Amino acid sequence: MKFTKYFPWIVGAVALVAALFMAMPQGKVNGFDLNAFAKLPILEGGRVKPLDSVARNSLLLIRSQQSFRFEGKTISADQWALDLMFRPEVADRQPVFVINDPDVLGLIGLKQTSIRYFSFETLAPHIDELEKQAKVAQPIDAKKRTRFQSAVVNLFERVYMYFRLKNTLQLAGTPGLAAQMQTVAAPQAAEMHSALTQLAMFRILPPLADQKAEAWQSVGENLQAGAMGQPLHPGLASLSRIATAYAAQDAAAFNNNVAEFQGIVASQRPEAVSHANNEITFNRAQPFYVGMVIYVLALLTIFVSWIWKRELLQPTAFSLLLVGAFVHTCGLAFRIILQGRPPVTNLYSSAVFVGWGAVILGIVLERMYKKGFGTAVATAAGFGSLIVAQHLAEGDTMEMMRAVLDSNFWLATHVVTITIGYSGTFLAGAIAIAYTLWKHIAPDPDPETGKALVGMAYGIICFSLLFSFVGTVLGGIWADQSWGRFWGWDPKENGALLIVLWNAIILHARWSGMARDRGIMTMAIFGNVITSLSWFGVNMLGVGLHSYGFMDEAFVALMAFIASQGVLMGLCMMPRRFQFQKPSPQA
Amino acid sequence: MTNKYLLKAWDFLSSFQLTIISLALLMVLVVLCTLAQVPLGTYGAVNMYMRSVFVWWGPEGSTWIIPVFPGGTLVGLVLTLNLLASTVKRLQFSWGKAGLWLVHLGLILLVSGEFVSAALQVDDRMAIEQGQTVNFVESYRATELVLVDATDPNFDEVFAVPTTLLEKKSAVNLPGSPITLNVKRFFPNAELMNRNPTDPPSIATMGVGPSVRIEERAVVSADNDVNNTSVLFEPVAAGRSYGVWLASIALGAPQSFTHEGHTYVMSIRPTRHYLPYALTLKKFSHDKYPGTDIPKNFSSLVQISNPSKGEARDVLIYMNQPLRYEGRTFYQASFGKGDTLSILQVVENPGWLLPYVSCVLVTIGLLVHFAIMLRRSLKRRQEKLS
Repeated sequence: MKFTKYFPWIVGAVALVAALFMAMPQGKVNGFDLNAFAKLPILEGGRVKPLDSVARNSLLLIRSQQSFRFEGKTISADQWALDLMFRPEVADRQPVFVINDPDVLGLIGLKQTSIRYFSFETLAPHIDELEKQAKVAQPIDAKKRTRFQSAVVNLFERVYMYFRLKNTLQLAGTPGLAAQMQTVAAPQAAEMHSALTQLAMFRILPPLADQKAEAWQSVGENLQAGAMGQPLHPGLASLSRIATAYAAQDAAAFNNNVAEFQGIVASQRPEAVSHANNEITFNRAQPFYVGMVIYVLALLTIFVSWIWKRELLQPTAFSLLLVGAFVHTCGLAFRIILQGRPPVTNLYSSAVFVGWGAVILGIVLERMYKKGFGTAVATAAGFGSLIVAQHLAEGDTMEMMRAVLDSNFWLATHVVTITIGYSGTFLAGAIAIAYTLWKHIAPDPDPETGKALVGMAYGIICFSLLFSFVGTVLGGIWADQSWGRFWGWDPKENGALLIVLWNAIILHARWSGMARDRGIMTMAIFGNVITSLSWFGVNMLGVGLHSYGFMDEAFVALMAFIASQGVLMGLCMMPRRFQFQKPSPQA
Repeated sequence: MTNKYLLKAWDFLSSFQLTIISLALLMVLVVLCTLAQVPLGTYGAVNMYMRSVFVWWGPEGSTWIIPVFPGGTLVGLVLTLNLLASTVKRLQFSWGKAGLWLVHLGLILLVSGEFVSAALQVDDRMAIEQGQTVNFVESYRATELVLVDATDPNFDEVFAVPTTLLEKKSAVNLPGSPITLNVKRFFPNAELMNRNPTDPPSIATMGVGPSVRIEERAVVSADNDVNNTSVLFEPVAAGRSYGVWLASIALGAPQSFTHEGHTYVMSIRPTRHYLPYALTLKKFSHDKYPGTDIPKNFSSLVQISNPSKGEARDVLIYMNQPLRYEGRTFYQASFGKGDTLSILQVVENPGWLLPYVSCVLVTIGLLVHFAIMLRRSLKRRQEKLS
């Protein structure tokens, strides 16, 4: 009996250890200390981050994955970036460009088959044609492009990004950085320096201790300064030896020079090194991905618990939920510390936070009611929102905030409250869905459980009304502070207002007795539709029939979600097992 | 009999049904208004759905229109009446209902705040170049025809007529001047082109008018569209005509005529409101994050000089940090001319404090009410257990 008592906690502990294991640095690959290289701090997109972040985000944008299989081996983003920068002839053969559009495939002379990934080598003969087509499409407003035009522009931008990364530290197809340093003052070198400067994707040379904190330089910029007679950066020589060693596949020399470069950076900018170290740990741990996996396991466990070994599996699911919530919370906290900002700064982080809020509320409900429903809706909400977040991640998810948004006070108050309002509305919807399924599936639905579920949904709706109202009004006040009017009926404000109005309607319908249990639950499911529309629909406004790309796919997903909610609302309104109660006269 | 109907009407006015219907209508309006912003722009959509008693519709190309849906003003009004009526009827004065009282009081304030803004809020802008001093704000949409008498080198005398008046009247006297303007033709929006020799002759006889072909265009309301308000008019003074001139917001070069030693420069420009004080832009800054084009901050360092109060001080206006002065609020809105021109949005809204008060009231009210309910339900659970 002891075993069944401890089983849930053992499962939770195993999940926690597995999550921690993810954060461990990878070992050396063929003797190369990739990790030491990947954690070098660089400046890109206006902020300091580890090189690993650039490698991951670039590969994510180009191939939609953070690593890939090639010739029987898994190539990490870091290894890919190293190959691209120092051994481009190897990287050019790796199939990293994902192409789905049949017309674009036709443009590069390929038929649509099951192969979706192509190497730069395959694309190279068609780059001119690709550029020609992209230049035609680029001036057209992104929302008015045809599917082909969007796909061509998209591919061209990815190829250009690949090209920039390839030419950031040294120009591909030239003798390399060491040779460039030898001939830094030669008149014919100026053109190469300026090409390097323009193409550089990131700045790798940190400002010296006595320079301004944002004075990072790219290799090209430093060589240009060198040509003007200024001393070259003390790290440039070791960087050139890193390039030579990697090209020659000399692991020992590579490792030594990376360590030497790291030492120079650490002596000049210790704060950049420690920030990069923290961020690379965050990148490796992938807390939101790991959290998502744990939530799925918890959800499956709770499903199984309803038909088998309920006493054992329900606490196990709850224990997994707690571990998932712990990982999720750590991820959020880590992000807040890394970015120095409140949790929600863009659409991606709003999805992460909405899920977190719903999970926490669900845990509270489970503690109060102990029926397993809290666990079910919390894991479903956590899993669903983290999946959405994964799809919303486009490049750097910790990008710098534009001037008007650059206010930690308002981000912390308005954005956080309104996002908690979203969480609550979704959770109420999830409870209503659970109620619907329970009502139709449970072999013996007792009125007590039904009452408890309605009570949960009602409490959560009150909670969401409070938060969405306060969040909306705070948004108005922010608007009044920053551009002079409290309310301008703009789409984002209207979306928030709709949630407030809908929650108010549900509560008034209940108080007046116009809607009873079933009605309240159906309305709570419709709350999911309203919330998803005001959350994402606003970003799709003005999207024409011809548009393509991310938002178009998101549009289809959103419509499918709304349709599914419609079906569930219908089910919720129907009496239990309606099809058996009234057999048709013909039967 | 009448009593019975009155009672019924009162019942309906104070009913939950009316609350729910009004809230639902408001939701529909909000959705329609949001969707309509794609073709109409925010200003046009809000005027059509929110700041109107009815939503009007007519077939394309015809002149008649019919009301097809209640507008935001009507729904807002009904909702307010319903709120008042049901508060009077249903809410008892008891501590248990204190939260709801606060919530509803706050909501009434919030809705009236929106009515006050709709009626009284004025949005203008002020564009200042570095080093320049400006003592007026300009309207975003309204325009005026001005005749500036620049004869005296010490000051300009400005005679202004709102262009909306030119649309309605065929002759306008300029008060304080000997001039009357005879309006020949008025265009709320027009496109001006070079006149081809084959085009029909222009009505204009003086200035650039005769060489311009004017084509009338439909009035636009989208956020970045500009109506090229244009007018053909004839200034008459002391029984003497000075010819027919074209003035348009699209024309840049000044045109003038001289009457009895006074030279009048004519133009159409955004309506100006002069202020009893002036702002001088000392410096405009536009910071970016290193290595990117992402804006980090915009700020304008201005000096306010108000001779009537003997005030002269420097103020830094930046994102999320406006200047509130003498009933107007100056916000950093835009910039131009290679970061040497700063555009401030200037808002005058006597009701700006209402939402703040309302927010506080409703928040406290909801918290109090939910706390009371939570206590009650916990009590019930306790009783059940014992």
